[in-house]
Amino acid sequence: MEEKYKVQVTDLHKSYDGVHEVIKGASLDVAPSEVVCIIGPSGSGKSTFLRCINKLEDFQDGHIYLDGVDLADPKVDINKMREKIGMVFQHFNLFPNMTVLENITLAPVELGKEDKETAIKEAHKYLQMVNMDDKADVKPTTLSGGQQQRVAIARALAMKPDVMLFDEPTSALDPEMVGDVLNVMKKLAQEGMTMIVVTHEMGFAKQVADKVAFFYGGVIKELGTPEEIFDHPQEEETKNFLNKVLNI
Amino acid sequence: MHLKKLRKLLLLPVSLLIAALFLTAPKAQAASKKTYIIGTDQTFKPFEIQDKDGTYNGKNPGIDIEILREIAKHENFKYELKIMSFNADVQALQSGQIDGMIAGMSVTEERKKTIDFSNSYYTDGVCLAVAKDSKITSMKDLKGKTVNVKTGTTSAIYAKSIQKKYGFKLKYYTNSNTSWADVKAGNADACFDDGPSLRYGIANGTGLRIVGKQVSNAPLAFAVKKGENQELLKMFNDGLAWLKKTGRLKKIVNKYTSKKAVKSQVVADTSILGLIKDNAGALLQGLWMTIELSIVGILAALVFGLILGIMGIAEHKFWHGLANVIIYIFRGIPMMVLAFFIYIGMPTLLGHKLPLFTAGILTLMLDEGAYIGAIVRGGFESVDVGQWEAARSLGLPYYKALWKVVAPQGFKLMIPSLVNQFIITLKDTSILSAIGVMDLTQTGANLIAQNFQGFKMWLIIAVIYLIIITLLTWLSNYIQKKMQH
Repeated sequence: MEEKYKVQVTDLHKSYDGVHEVIKGASLDVAPSEVVCIIGPSGSGKSTFLRCINKLEDFQDGHIYLDGVDLADPKVDINKMREKIGMVFQHFNLFPNMTVLENITLAPVELGKEDKETAIKEAHKYLQMVNMDDKADVKPTTLSGGQQQRVAIARALAMKPDVMLFDEPTSALDPEMVGDVLNVMKKLAQEGMTMIVVTHEMGFAKQVADKVAFFYGGVIKELGTPEEIFDHPQEEETKNFLNKVLNI
Repeated sequence: MHLKKLRKLLLLPVSLLIAALFLTAPKAQAASKKTYIIGTDQTFKPFEIQDKDGTYNGKNPGIDIEILREIAKHENFKYELKIMSFNADVQALQSGQIDGMIAGMSVTEERKKTIDFSNSYYTDGVCLAVAKDSKITSMKDLKGKTVNVKTGTTSAIYAKSIQKKYGFKLKYYTNSNTSWADVKAGNADACFDDGPSLRYGIANGTGLRIVGKQVSNAPLAFAVKKGENQELLKMFNDGLAWLKKTGRLKKIVNKYTSKKAVKSQVVADTSILGLIKDNAGALLQGLWMTIELSIVGILAALVFGLILGIMGIAEHKFWHGLANVIIYIFRGIPMMVLAFFIYIGMPTLLGHKLPLFTAGILTLMLDEGAYIGAIVRGGFESVDVGQWEAARSLGLPYYKALWKVVAPQGFKLMIPSLVNQFIITLKDTSILSAIGVMDLTQTGANLIAQNFQGFKMWLIIAVIYLIIITLLTWLSNYIQKKMQH
């Protein structure tokens, strides 16, 4: 493990029921403040790969290091590790039984990171950042998808994570909502957040990513800068995929 | 570590449960230590004649009760009556749940194996009775007919012994009144029952007549479990000797069996309104017991169900299996069997008596709790898995995620099923009348034993249940509406 990486995944293997292998030896290094976008056809294992990084999915083989700590080590307290890894889901997964503000303050208060007063102050700060502060006291179900996703980002940020994982954050949104969410993510990237983003937004990947990983058949088939991947893809599968998604 | 957390999480409901059980305990322990628990039958005239409120505190409580009353006064001991069916009494005696039993019980060789009898206070026998207008005139006419008997009684033993010879079918009941009403209604052709009891009933308008002579005469006696409560048995015998010597025994017996025997309280007004007015006190008392059982029962069941539900989705798979087994067992046992097991069977295991109310609550807790456990687990499981993932991804440990995020949403989904279970619980309390709980159902059975107004009384009881359940449904709809806002 080299200390210069924030996240380092080495030779990751994951299968369901020990039979159906979905990740067949994937490796990825992410430097601090780096933004890595993972693209690829559906079913290629890219979301599963992302979910392994905070152990929402168990994996059978390989290592995932966060700041040098190996998540494969059974002695590691996964809850403590997850506090440092923010996650944003395709379907937002806000808690419908709480207000927007409570969604954000829940974890910092419950985990003893902040007292309630500080947590509320901080929550408003993050809500301002995602431009949702005026909705602090409403229930999430009254919000549009785009608004919910921005609240979800604020909720993840409130734990002050070292890394943010995004699992197709705009896939469930109406097209006119996508921009707002992507803008928030761009802002985050500019502020130096380390991000791993599974996405179908090629424009965003081109514009924001430091590295683009093309996931195919359970492995990272091709990895490079946006220019390398989008303008000069080497692999046949990469070319086919890009042809399909870019020339609709 | 997870086990530790689960334990912590379960501590609250468990302590609530224990507190609930203790709260119900003083109810039964109110009487002092020297009080003997004496089992007796439900109304079995003229030996046992229950009052309107189901007690034997009235002026004419029957031969057995008057004898017991006089002897206790003379011998200076206190007693408390446990009123159950004859058969349940015998089992309770053998399990030590009651200290003694007086219920028109005949001395038989079979019973002597497990029971110590007092001296006899009366000689009793079995009679055959049929409906007034029946064509049956002797035992020979019974071929192919249906004949009622009371479970566990001498009449049943006698009927069984001649069943082959006369070729009739037997139908078993737990109390005489239902058995007689069944014959009168024509569902059965005849019944074997205690002679004095039948004669007393006929004098009071059961609409039956006796066929042939009284047979199988046998002495009646007071009973204790073999080898136990010998001081009680001695006091009874001493008292009985005194009753015989002073002629008091004869007076008591004559009061109920002579031509001028006391009649049951005559019900003047047998219209539905009259019946309600006449029995309002008893009905309200029964209703109150039903409500009390339902509320305490559902609370205990909620606690037990919550524990099972949490076990059912615990992080550790071991708990899932355990919860499944517990739910499987208690959902699989009929509630009446469970009630008998707890009230009559458990004392043998525990080595001490279980108060009736506590036994009733335990039964409800285990049976309804198993159903609630399945509801709770199902409620938790139907919460979107994304909620778990979001909570866990923030670093919340399993049980914090459960308690703060998943459970509140799960409970909301459960409410309709839980309300439904509460209504079922209220109805299920009627099953507890089998172990002698004086709930609304048992009160109804008692009142009918006196006034023979089966149709009207059961109609009144049914309507009372319906009203309560309707009110409950309204209340729960109101609460659900409120919760949605």
